[in-house]
Amino acid sequence: MTVATFIAKNALRNKRRAALTILSVAVSCALLVTLLTLQRELTIPPESEAASLRVIVRNKVSLAQPLPAKQLPILDKIPGIVAVTPFSFFGGNFREETVTSFAQFAVDPVRFQGIIVEGKIVDGAYEAFAKDRNSCLVGADTMKRYGLKVGNRMRFTGTFFPVNLDLKIAAVFQGTVDDRGVFFHHKLLDELMGDPGTVGTWYIRVASAEVANDVIGRVNKAFENTAAEVRAETERAFQMSFISMLGNVKLLIGSISSVVVFTLMLVTVSTMSMAIRERFRELAILKALGYRRGELFSFILAESFGLAAFGAIIGIGGAWAFWTFTDLQKLTRGFLIYFEVTPRIIATGGVVAVLLAIIAAIAPSYAVARMSVVQGLKTLD
Amino acid sequence: MAEENVVMIRNLSKIYQQGEINVTALNNICLDIRKGEFLALMGPSGSGKSTLLHIIAGIDRPTNGQCVVQGIDVTRLNESALADWRNQNVGFVFQTFNLIPVLTAYENVELPLLLTRLGRRERRQLVTTALELVGLADRAGHLPKQLSGGQEQRAAIARALVTDPSLVVADEPTGNLDSQSALEVLAILQALSRSAGKTVILVTHDPKAAAFGSRSIHLEKGELVNGETDLSLLPLQPAKKS
Repeated sequence: MTVATFIAKNALRNKRRAALTILSVAVSCALLVTLLTLQRELTIPPESEAASLRVIVRNKVSLAQPLPAKQLPILDKIPGIVAVTPFSFFGGNFREETVTSFAQFAVDPVRFQGIIVEGKIVDGAYEAFAKDRNSCLVGADTMKRYGLKVGNRMRFTGTFFPVNLDLKIAAVFQGTVDDRGVFFHHKLLDELMGDPGTVGTWYIRVASAEVANDVIGRVNKAFENTAAEVRAETERAFQMSFISMLGNVKLLIGSISSVVVFTLMLVTVSTMSMAIRERFRELAILKALGYRRGELFSFILAESFGLAAFGAIIGIGGAWAFWTFTDLQKLTRGFLIYFEVTPRIIATGGVVAVLLAIIAAIAPSYAVARMSVVQGLKTLD
Repeated sequence: MAEENVVMIRNLSKIYQQGEINVTALNNICLDIRKGEFLALMGPSGSGKSTLLHIIAGIDRPTNGQCVVQGIDVTRLNESALADWRNQNVGFVFQTFNLIPVLTAYENVELPLLLTRLGRRERRQLVTTALELVGLADRAGHLPKQLSGGQEQRAAIARALVTDPSLVVADEPTGNLDSQSALEVLAILQALSRSAGKTVILVTHDPKAAAFGSRSIHLEKGELVNGETDLSLLPLQPAKKS
């Protein structure tokens, strides 16, 4: 027999209790990892290098207020701007859906090509999209999700705009942070809306990250004290402003995570205390045989750690496997694109499990250390 | 001294405090125990015999006095040193056997050896020898619940002997056994003293058990009383096999 065997036999002497403890640790770790991943996905939008060179310009009063199309020539002249396109959110419903999770935007196809430079055309031809006013450019994820092909038609029922769209898929793109979007001609929207001469936002690409702030400043200043003052911000800042509409997501998820960890701690401390309390007499015998306090603490800690580690491996590993191999877009109806259980989150889950194991071992170890051999031998089973 | 004294106790007292009341378990005990002696500590319940045994074995500390075992004043050792000393010098046999229920007889006997630097092979040799000595070699792989009371106590004796201690302490070892098993256990303890030269201290309230010893002393209300009997001249009690 080795010390490890002795510890394992003690840990598994009550198999039901050990199994339930491992299961509770596993479920709690899986929940914790999921919450941390959700917090990360909601508060840190996906980023790409190309996105860092993009700026969104919207109406300073409200995103819902349009901007005059005649701002375009002024923007074209601002130094540092490489490309600019109108960028209007359509927000229609696809097929019979009441809520469509992928966005549709009206753009100038020629100018738009200079904005989303990281995207690659994987089917069809961009030229076909640029030439046909009734066509659209669709992201590969949406194509896959709905089983679409180039040449198929996509019909959208307008929600913000009182018009419907009937578009032919001309090309498919891939390689951006969000491969779900659908882009169509702004001129088609203008036609359907009776040419109001407005756009939702301007979508800009700047020459370099260094000039981004300068460009933002110039754009804001160019339309200061006009009928349509603007607010220019980086694409990331724009995305973050949507997240902030959800409220303090970080605090909410952080609170729930804390409750999960606290509950798990109560369970493990209670389990270990019970398990050790039942063995006071045996531990007194070990003391009589010559085992020191430090050695008994090591036994208790190893047992606690073993149970926690098993639970953590099952829980964290299970969560990682589930979220890695699950079709998340289908599960969340497109609300979430990515749900990556990062190594950092896995490590956080592991650290929590280790700390809990240590905390769970402290109280019973202290009781054992204080117990005299004679007292322990008198303990009833 | 013609024979070496293994245990020397001088003015030993143990007082328990229970609230405002002081309970004197041992009062000014002076005692010498010779090497190889089989000493029976007798007395009624609450007389302090187990307390005295515990102090000699190093699992309890006196309030006053000295207890020197094999030249070491165990009352002065710190917790750690006392634990090491117990592992090497004392073998324990308890009334309720106190085997670890999830370990086999072999593993229970091996427990004290895990604290040593002995390799697996050496440990196996010592454990096997100890089990053979008590007649349990064929039960090595059995859990305590698969052993009879007598067999459990023999396993406990094997565990007490595996580190080859010079001192074996037994606190009412036959209290939970039938008469036949009790005789077997007492015979083993007697053989340890007579043949192996170990010093055995037996706590008992049973005169028949005490008769196996070479000497008996009586305690009453924490004090040694007259009536010590030197049994060393009596013949060895024959062991009865099961």
